[in-house]
Amino acid sequence: MDWAHLLDLLAATIRIATPLAFAAMGGILSERAGVFAVGLEGMMLSGACGAAVGAVLLGPAAGILGAALCGGAMGAVIATVTVRHGADNMVTGIAANILAIGLTNFLVRVLLGHGASPRIHIDLLGPVRIPLLADLPGLGPLLFDQPWLTYMAALVPLPLTLFLSRSRWGLTLRAAGENPLAVFAVGGDPLAIRFRAVVACGAVAGIGGAVLVLGQVGTFTDNMTAGRGYLALAAIIVGRWTPWPTIAACLLFAAADALTLRVQVFSLPVSSYVVQMLPYALALAVLVGLGHSARLPAAAGTTFRRGGG
Amino acid sequence: MRGIAKSYGAVRANAGIDLDVEAGQIVGLLGENGSGKSTLMKVLFGMVKPDAGGIVYKGRELSGHDPRAALAAGIGMIHQHFMLVEAMTVAENVMLGWDAAGRWLKRGAMATAVRDTSARFGLDIDPEARVGDLSLGRRQRVEILKALMRGVDLLILDEPTSNLTPGEVAGLFGVLRQLKAQGKGVVLITHKLHEILEITDAVVVLRDGTVSGRRPTRDASAGDLARMMVERDVTAALPRIATGRGGAPLLSVVGLTVAGSAGDALDDVSFDLAPGEVLAVAGIDGNGQSALVEAVAGLRRPEAGSIALLGRDVTGASVAARVRAGLAYIPADRGMTSLVQGMSIAENLALRDIGRAPHSRLSWLRRGGMDQEARRRIRDFAIRTAGPAAAARDLSGGNQQKIVIAREMDRRPRVLVAFQATWGLDPGAARFVQEQVMAMRNAGHAVLYVASELDEVLALGDRIGVLCGGRMVAIVPREAVDLREIGLMMAGHPGGEVTA
Amino acid sequence: MTDATQTPRARLALLRPGSWRPLAGLGLAFAIAAALIAIAGANPLTAFGAALSGAFGSPGQVATALTKATPYLLCSTGVALCFRAGVINIGGEGQIALGGLAATAAALAWPIADPFAATAAALAAGALGGLAWAALAAVLHLTRRVHEVLITLLMNFIALLMVGETLREGLGEVGAGFPQSPLLPRAVWLTRLMPPTSLNVGVFIALAVALLAALLLWRTTFGFAIRATGASRRAAAYAGFSVPGVVFGVMCLGGATAGLAGAVQVMGVQYRLIEGYSTGFGFISVAIALLGGLDPLLLIPASVFFGFLETGMAAMQRQVGVPSALVGVIEGLVMLTVLAGTASGARQARV
Repeated sequence: MDWAHLLDLLAATIRIATPLAFAAMGGILSERAGVFAVGLEGMMLSGACGAAVGAVLLGPAAGILGAALCGGAMGAVIATVTVRHGADNMVTGIAANILAIGLTNFLVRVLLGHGASPRIHIDLLGPVRIPLLADLPGLGPLLFDQPWLTYMAALVPLPLTLFLSRSRWGLTLRAAGENPLAVFAVGGDPLAIRFRAVVACGAVAGIGGAVLVLGQVGTFTDNMTAGRGYLALAAIIVGRWTPWPTIAACLLFAAADALTLRVQVFSLPVSSYVVQMLPYALALAVLVGLGHSARLPAAAGTTFRRGGG
Repeated sequence: MRGIAKSYGAVRANAGIDLDVEAGQIVGLLGENGSGKSTLMKVLFGMVKPDAGGIVYKGRELSGHDPRAALAAGIGMIHQHFMLVEAMTVAENVMLGWDAAGRWLKRGAMATAVRDTSARFGLDIDPEARVGDLSLGRRQRVEILKALMRGVDLLILDEPTSNLTPGEVAGLFGVLRQLKAQGKGVVLITHKLHEILEITDAVVVLRDGTVSGRRPTRDASAGDLARMMVERDVTAALPRIATGRGGAPLLSVVGLTVAGSAGDALDDVSFDLAPGEVLAVAGIDGNGQSALVEAVAGLRRPEAGSIALLGRDVTGASVAARVRAGLAYIPADRGMTSLVQGMSIAENLALRDIGRAPHSRLSWLRRGGMDQEARRRIRDFAIRTAGPAAAARDLSGGNQQKIVIAREMDRRPRVLVAFQATWGLDPGAARFVQEQVMAMRNAGHAVLYVASELDEVLALGDRIGVLCGGRMVAIVPREAVDLREIGLMMAGHPGGEVTA
Repeated sequence: MTDATQTPRARLALLRPGSWRPLAGLGLAFAIAAALIAIAGANPLTAFGAALSGAFGSPGQVATALTKATPYLLCSTGVALCFRAGVINIGGEGQIALGGLAATAAALAWPIADPFAATAAALAAGALGGLAWAALAAVLHLTRRVHEVLITLLMNFIALLMVGETLREGLGEVGAGFPQSPLLPRAVWLTRLMPPTSLNVGVFIALAVALLAALLLWRTTFGFAIRATGASRRAAAYAGFSVPGVVFGVMCLGGATAGLAGAVQVMGVQYRLIEGYSTGFGFISVAIALLGGLDPLLLIPASVFFGFLETGMAAMQRQVGVPSALVGVIEGLVMLTVLAGTASGARQARV
């Protein structure tokens, strides 16, 4: 293992972490408002589909917009079932993921492939070089010669942190996740807050899907998120529902994933199957190691009803 | 408020109620549980839409309003269960849902404002304290502070003293007098007569959803109000025969310590229960009552100490083993603990005995046996229901509690643990429960009766225990009870010798 | 109560048997599917017609649908028992995969000549494989208090990769060019009922398991404990049941039925273990469990329905050119509509 390989591994880690980061930041919005974000996987996949369709038909900018719209739409579906009808968050999330797999398969074939599996080729978003910083020796080109979506992923925690701790909406959103009755008692509508939070979660996670399509793969394949939404979900828990630590957790899982692609390079004495288990096993181990968290928003997963009866 | 009416299904919570509150006046709203006090105030605060009637506030018609509109108009409500976010600070709770806090929160300015208002009304609240760390009395002040800072002119307090120590109650009344002096109107919902007489200017008594009396407080006497509040006399003494109270203790608790959050822990509690006695335990809610009953019932593992049932150590025994050994338990919560609401009455009657005849044999349920047993108990305990197949949730609170009693008593237990057993019941049903408890005692068995209503504790107990801060601060024989002393001990003041 | 916060976990277990809501959800799902078919440029009626004839057109097609329904019924039975206890076991995918793996390993490692004994041993191995994986999830959940959904989801990925790994190493067929095991010994092949279709006696095993599950749920004290635990864990503890014991027990049962599903698929349809042979089975089973109202007997029509749905949609794709991915859309929609309907009606639900 030499310096070049390590840099390469770092680069891959950042690349893999980018979609996870978007999904996890969205998930924080949803979970802090009191709705478990098990549907992140489906939101990401919907976003990826929206990105592919938008980019093929209208160009890359439309791809990003399409991703946010489709992710948000999936968020609205989940919010309708969980927030409006009070269904179990976990099972609803799983159902939404199944729906997303079927729906994206179907729509991509219908809209882009005339009924058959389409051949899509989308030009990847090029790296944006940040002058001076990118010229720093060693890490410079690695950190500051990335697609702009990556920079965005790195910056999202800042406005998210400010929003949650400094804005009135953020305060209300957190209260909806801790004690919806308290929000109701001061004249707020916890259901509406949760609904919006889940839709926003979908839009942000959808952009995570767009990163996959526009920044990394250049096409849409069936079920291409392949569990990334679940890893993002685990990252949120490991990150204690706070943005910066969650990003760190995303990087950790991404590093494990990056290792799987480079197993030959490092000539590790294990098969690719075993190495592929690494991110999932790591996520499981960290969750089990941490155990039940007292930091979980107190009303997460509960429903709120109002009116007589 | 004029002619307010509201029904829940077949239950008339409010039927044509009028209520007037003037500025600088404290109006007491008196009534038993379920008399419609809370519903009326929820209508006023916009949490519940009335079926009929109207509200005029400061000369303006209020209708179809929600809590936000009520607050904007200047009506605030302090709920019995506080509407605070425990994970947040006082200042954050104040800013929640309040436009004046700014789109981007003005944390510094709000903290100052909290300090100012707190000082002006003598509330003594630190804006940076986490609400979850505050005592219940403090939390209530946070609620009052929230309302005051929003410029509330009419404040509704729903059973504000139910979780407070006497010292905290005095503090609260001081705050209320301050409010009155500054021209605010106050509605005080309570079922405690002495509070009405102490603090209010006028009183309105509710019974069964209608006004059963109203007058200025100076013209009211306690006896008067009590008569208006409860139609018939349910405080007649319970039948109590001399039982001798000899013999080996049926239940022995030694040094019982249970870990838990504040108010839900137990610290070195010891007592014996002799045959033929009721040990009634008083205390303000949240002083270790649930920890005590749940540890005895086997639902919580104690950290230290021992529990012996009929001389046998059961400290590590399972719930089922304790049931078999003769321990019955009536929990406080019928909604999720003592009944499975979605199961039938027959299944609920068999809930704690499902592994035994006639309910099952060799792990196979015997539907016929369960059904027969259920019919007999429905008859014996006069449970009013369509039949054993009806769901428990379709029964009234009193009939639900009868299911629990039938199940626990029909097993012929030696020791009964009851926790808030009459909570939320109408007077008739409460009386039934108390009679069952006394019958058990009179038959030579033992009862541990934990309740927060002092009157009930005094009516039932042969000995009175007082729980405070998770410690059994005293156990006094019935004959030696000094009310003032018990009140002091409940409030955490040292006093009274421990005579166990 | 004017305002109430409730745990939907408890209410999930309150699905009402025999309710009309699942059927209404099905109707809505098909209405949306028809709209999607129209978007795809086909006439929904023509497409559904093709699907119907594809599903019921010949005895062979019916047999194919029943073959597909067999593992679904097995796995969804376990899922339903878990959900009844308020345990959200989403680990069917992994438990099926490992069940198939265990059955294959047992059949290849210890060949038994007697067909009956060999079959029984391989089936038992499959059930044990799924059970062990579910038991591990249950232990992690109970000891560390991490939500079972997260644990079972992550363990699915690991289980699928474990199957790939064993097919690459020990169990793989040399020179196959695809990760699959050698053919299993004939002794463990489940008897075919209607050659040349793959319909086999596994369908009777599935029916028997569903029937036994119904008896367990409604007629035994353990079933009573399951229902009480699902409705309220506090009430179950008060009743004297060991809640961790019930959770562990249903997880093991769920794992065993899922493992059995894997074994039946391997021994009855493919006669060998193939990588990815059960992809999606676990999730479909969750959809079926919800559609069947968590009632083991109603799972029979629900899983048969999904079997027909898949064969029908495949025929639709062949004849009308509408992608069969519509199956997934209908699955997801059925789950969502049933969930939404159930939660709203849970106040009247019986357990």
